Amino acid sequence: MSNVESEYRARYETVLVPLANRLERHLRDHFDGWTSIDRIVARAKSADRFVAKAAALTDGKMKYREPFDQIQDQIGARIITRFLQHVDPISANIDEYFRKIETQRIEPDSDAEFGYFGRHFVLFLPTDLFDDEIPADRAPKFFELQIKTLYQHAWAEANHDLAYKPQGQLTADQKRKVAFTAAQSWGADRIFDELCTELTVDAKRT
Amino acid sequence: MTNGNGHRRSRDYSRQFLWQVAMSIALQRIYSFLVHPDKRKEEQSKIRGTKVDSSTRLIEMLQKIFDSADEECEYEITFDSASDGKQHNPRRDQIIAFMRQPGLNSGRRIALELQAVTTTNSGLGLFFILYGESNGNKKIVLSRFPANSGILADEGEDDLTVEFVEKVFMKSATAYKAAVYRGKSLDGDFWDGRAIDRQTNSEILAISNYWIKHFLLSDFRATSAQGTKRLAAALLVATRNATDAAVKQEIIAAARLSGGLTGKSTSIKDFCRRFHLSPNATETIQKQVRNDAVYTEKFRFNRDEFAKHIVIQSVELKNGAILMASAADFDKVFEQKILNESNNDVQFSTHGQIVDQRLKRKRS
Repeated sequence: MSNVESEYRARYETVLVPLANRLERHLRDHFDGWTSIDRIVARAKSADRFVAKAAALTDGKMKYREPFDQIQDQIGARIITRFLQHVDPISANIDEYFRKIETQRIEPDSDAEFGYFGRHFVLFLPTDLFDDEIPADRAPKFFELQIKTLYQHAWAEANHDLAYKPQGQLTADQKRKVAFTAAQSWGADRIFDELCTELTVDAKRT
Repeated sequence: MTNGNGHRRSRDYSRQFLWQVAMSIALQRIYSFLVHPDKRKEEQSKIRGTKVDSSTRLIEMLQKIFDSADEECEYEITFDSASDGKQHNPRRDQIIAFMRQPGLNSGRRIALELQAVTTTNSGLGLFFILYGESNGNKKIVLSRFPANSGILADEGEDDLTVEFVEKVFMKSATAYKAAVYRGKSLDGDFWDGRAIDRQTNSEILAISNYWIKHFLLSDFRATSAQGTKRLAAALLVATRNATDAAVKQEIIAAARLSGGLTGKSTSIKDFCRRFHLSPNATETIQKQVRNDAVYTEKFRFNRDEFAKHIVIQSVELKNGAILMASAADFDKVFEQKILNESNNDVQFSTHGQIVDQRLKRKRS
């Protein structure tokens, strides 16, 4: 076992898992009463995934020379919304109540493509989460937050399990199937969003 | 020790909190630059700088500034992300470039940015960059001394000569500014630091924003809404948990006066001090926050955010009567007369037209 792996495994059990639990509770308390949110989860990155990421190369060189300081998704949180129109208000709230160093709308490179959609943030872990049991000096500074709709989440999870390997290993037909499911999810999100708007307006009229 | 929310309260580790390893680092490199007030000037003044020799008498003073910066800089700050949302901040980049290659050129680039945001109100300043590294731990302090004028008195054997002196740079109690950053990794760390700006509550926006927002391209680590919500939550739970009626009253009175803090930087600790809360009330509030870092963390108070959480003030009398009004208007709506101070017997009176009345199933 490498030093990185053993150090991460020790940190995982004693700091990252309990901290992720606290973060999840913190986010749930913060968004208490938001009916537009389907679920909120937070997790610590598994040791295997961390070690694999820490070993990543760019142009033949180590991408992360100081992986514990540079890898910012050791703790990840996800907010799943019911409809597309709920993503913006939740993002605006995150902007207001959490200090960020990054925010991104992740979409396929080309407008003619379908694939992963989502809103990502890199945020400072709130000061409220720390105490003697989990002191801040043993924890990462940041966590990654994703805001996605149910359909975006479902597609990303299935795609991750089935198709998350070097693109060269997928046949042309398989790539088309992946794009097809992404397009279906995108379309379902749009239709549900339109329905939500129409039915909300109708309900207000009556 | 457990606080009012059942959390295990931390010892005073607020300083340790952001610094990961609060170890002593020796001051190794010192650069100084004369910074002119050139905001909005098309042609920027040439910035003259020097490397300060460690053998000069100045070193003792600068060493003290370097060592005490962690304590003195009381605001936790973070660099802003870029407007396109990317993890990029030009000032952070320049500070990191300086740490990679400390020198007059890399320091001058930072000084130029300070000059470009310095107004005539802030005036001429002497800017120091102090840097040290030990076992991979790096520390950098940026410090600005405003220019002043003074009188030099020289006592001779039988006489005294006085002389007017210009360009005296002093560590002003009212205008001193500094920032300190610590970390190990130049790639991953140095997104947060601490700062001091004695003018941050100035009524003149340009002055209050000059050091942290305009020069450091930073903001408080706690957002305005986040900090205000924490304060409101602490006060709310404190009034609920306080067993002493006088403590409850003190906290409610302070909450009602909080509107005056709008836009000002404060912390939960500051709030208790500013409204002269008693040790009992202060302790009751402090027990509601998870750790001392939250207790001391600065933020800009937001009245609207506060009102979202503390809206209604209610008073329940022993005879079963419950009086309710908005916290801000309670004293205007209800006239209060103390009938017997020894047993806390009071009489409330009010009048008005009935606009609504209802029964509630149970008390919430």
